[in-house]
Amino acid sequence: MQDTFLTRARKERWFYAYLFISPVLIFFGLFRVYPALQTLVFSFFKVEIVARRYSWVGLKNFALLLQDDSFIRAIKNTFIYALYIVFISGFLGLVLASMFNSKMKLGAFFKAIYFIPYITSTVAAAVVWGYLYDPKFGLFNMLLRLVGLPTRGWTASSRDALMCIVIFSIWKSLGYNMVIFIAGLQNIPDMIYEAATIDGAGPVTKFFRITIPMIVPTIFFVIIYNTILSLKVFDQVFVLTAGGPAEASTVVVLQIYNQAFLNYRFGYASAEAFVLFVSVMLITVVQYWISRRMEI
Amino acid sequence: MKVQVLKRTGEISATSIAYLLLFAFGVLMVLPFYWMIVASLQIPENLVSFPPKWWPQPPTTEHYMDAMAKAPFLLYYRNSLIVAIISVGCSVIFGLFAGYAFAIYRFPLQNLFFILILSTLMVPIQVTSVSLYILMARLGWIDTFPGILAPNFASAFAVFFMRQTIKGMPGDLIDAARIDGAGEVRIVTTIVAPLVKSVIATVTLILFIDSWNDFLWPVIIINSKYLRTITVGIAFFKDPYHISFGPLMAATSIATIPMIVIYLLLQRFVIKGIATTGLKF
Repeated sequence: MQDTFLTRARKERWFYAYLFISPVLIFFGLFRVYPALQTLVFSFFKVEIVARRYSWVGLKNFALLLQDDSFIRAIKNTFIYALYIVFISGFLGLVLASMFNSKMKLGAFFKAIYFIPYITSTVAAAVVWGYLYDPKFGLFNMLLRLVGLPTRGWTASSRDALMCIVIFSIWKSLGYNMVIFIAGLQNIPDMIYEAATIDGAGPVTKFFRITIPMIVPTIFFVIIYNTILSLKVFDQVFVLTAGGPAEASTVVVLQIYNQAFLNYRFGYASAEAFVLFVSVMLITVVQYWISRRMEI
Repeated sequence: MKVQVLKRTGEISATSIAYLLLFAFGVLMVLPFYWMIVASLQIPENLVSFPPKWWPQPPTTEHYMDAMAKAPFLLYYRNSLIVAIISVGCSVIFGLFAGYAFAIYRFPLQNLFFILILSTLMVPIQVTSVSLYILMARLGWIDTFPGILAPNFASAFAVFFMRQTIKGMPGDLIDAARIDGAGEVRIVTTIVAPLVKSVIATVTLILFIDSWNDFLWPVIIINSKYLRTITVGIAFFKDPYHISFGPLMAATSIATIPMIVIYLLLQRFVIKGIATTGLKF
């Protein structure tokens, strides 16, 4: 009797368990997992959405990808962009975070200020920066003229366009990286710094010999987070340069968007999306693998 | 004047360098917003004058009138609010129940389902947008609210955090409620939810910011002007033939300033929430 009571109770729990997880499973199944699998399938097809015609083309989409200068350009740009964001925004975030300490007056004020770009919509902020970058009426060129330096083309120049996006994104993400590093730094016991001070270590020595080794996990998190975010970059490119001039600042997601929604090449865009998926997955696997090892 | 007693000169210079650096970068952080507001209030002649005018002299509201006449910002706000409230509301409620199930129950395929939910993070909307669009076309959901909402009815982030938090709760409370005869749904809504309310608030806030600033999927799925969310409205505000920065800066001010003010009121809470969830996720 005891046994049947327990089984019944357990069966009832199962019922509630499945009931409670079913909304998430249904919505994710329909709108996340199914489209993800479809992306893989479509990358082997030519998809004509209006005619609802799907024609098998084998590996043709992927073969075309390898010869597509725009896509190769996009991969290169995305990679360069990611490197700049990870190293500059990450490093600056760490330097600024190490300037903070618990005794600092105005610390909360600075944190709040640095965080404003992060919570503002990328699109709206990029529109403002588009104005700052304007070759004729933008603030940056006016300031250059004011100090007597030659003006630049900024977003209108194929040499500067990608850097304009990088600078914008550093501005946008710096506050987040800084706040994450501040949280990581708070876990370092003050004792270690005090001991180093007694031993006569200066601030630079302390930074490289204590701070950095002690926050390796946080550094690792910031690198992974910024890399994945960089692979997905779209909004600021769309607003600031639309990938131009002459595709000088195009990125992977913009290529997917253009191929699918401007050229209606849905199969081809799926192949591009598949490449993006593999990149995100690889980084996630590396992250999982390393974070497992670090905890041991 | 305030008199400060400092131990060593090295400490003075280190602190002042820290302040100087933080102040300099702080200026860079707010400068674009400052310039946006100044330009939005500047008379047209001053927008093109050299050297730049750092203060609106005299200030004018004409760009705001112009921006409001050109685009229905109240409607954009309403659309963004509808999308954010429904998607965040569903994500939080579904996340609470699913998080409870994963934390409290033991059931077949539990780990598989949990990993499946977390693995959706590897297929962001940037990857699935193309095939999701095709699915929406088949469902007839293009250019509709259900279409805008489709990928955001649930959130892996919400499920994960609810599970972590509920796992850390003392189990006897739930057992006591069960002995008192409370049903499982009532346990979640009346016992668990109040206990994890600070996490619910944090998750709600982060999801709300994400939803409010979302752009890629809305710009793909929305065709009609009257369905535009605020981000889509801003992106298409610029007309290609007549770029005038005054109305454009007024438009971005309308889009950003209310959010910045709300953020500044809640900033301690926002920063703490994002910092702790970011590191644990």
